[in-house]
Amino acid sequence: MTFPPVATSADLVEIIDQVWVSYLDPDGVSPLVHMDPAQSASDLYAAVSITGSWHGHVVVACSTDASRACAAAFLAMKSDEVSDDDVIDVLGELANIVGGNVKSMLPPGCFVSLPYVVNAPADTLRLPSAVKVCELAGRWDEEPICVSLWQSQNELKGAHSS
Amino acid sequence: MLAIVIDDSRAMRMILKRILSQLDFDVIEAGDGREAMDTLLALEELPSLALIDWNMPNMNGLEFVTAVRDDKRLREMTLVMVTTESEQSQIVRALAAGAHEYVIKPFTSGAMVEKLALLGLVPAGANI
Repeated sequence: MTFPPVATSADLVEIIDQVWVSYLDPDGVSPLVHMDPAQSASDLYAAVSITGSWHGHVVVACSTDASRACAAAFLAMKSDEVSDDDVIDVLGELANIVGGNVKSMLPPGCFVSLPYVVNAPADTLRLPSAVKVCELAGRWDEEPICVSLWQSQNELKGAHSS
Repeated sequence: MLAIVIDDSRAMRMILKRILSQLDFDVIEAGDGREAMDTLLALEELPSLALIDWNMPNMNGLEFVTAVRDDKRLREMTLVMVTTESEQSQIVRALAAGAHEYVIKPFTSGAMVEKLALLGLVPAGANI
């Protein structure tokens, strides 16, 4: 029985660490502190879908304060200066970057959709034909951020039957 | 020197603009390839450098690179893809279409400076 290569939590850690070093904590003073995903509540999320030779989704969820802090860090502004549009843009770009890097670990021939952002907790997200295959949760300045990878159940069934 | 940053994310444009400004570039922005083409065709002085995202609405980065290379007036610009597309086959496609360099997101400002130095656009070891 063979399984298609799928990113793991360790892969997400590597991707997220790189995002933090590049954009959110270039001076290394405020890293993402990993935590139990069960304790990670969110107020909004961004997602991209991956289609083609592999089907799934990447979801970046966080608290409102974390999203504003991300936007402020990206844009070199103060948290109280960022607009709602800035938050949507930055959270979407985060999902895009993580999704793109996950895609590089998948079989060739995958495509990443443009990101979408929803102002609702991630636990309201409905991906009826997908299951969560790994996630990384953490606190950044005491605010929760969670990144998860979802895989199409049809994909999993195909893998199990091959 | 003038540069154009083409990305549908305003945040990413800001990050790239910040890096380029610290390297003494004047920077103009576009939110997708179509807007960039419209902007470039209206300019008298062309940028010497374009930083280009791949996945964008309206006209994506690969289509933009192809369009620039097909245009006699624009084809001398140095084109750098800045994207999450990191599959070898995609990199080959972009370079074959006419991109000079390829930077994979996420990137540090140091990595971007190194790429621009390789292209001779900034001094090697430039500090920002």
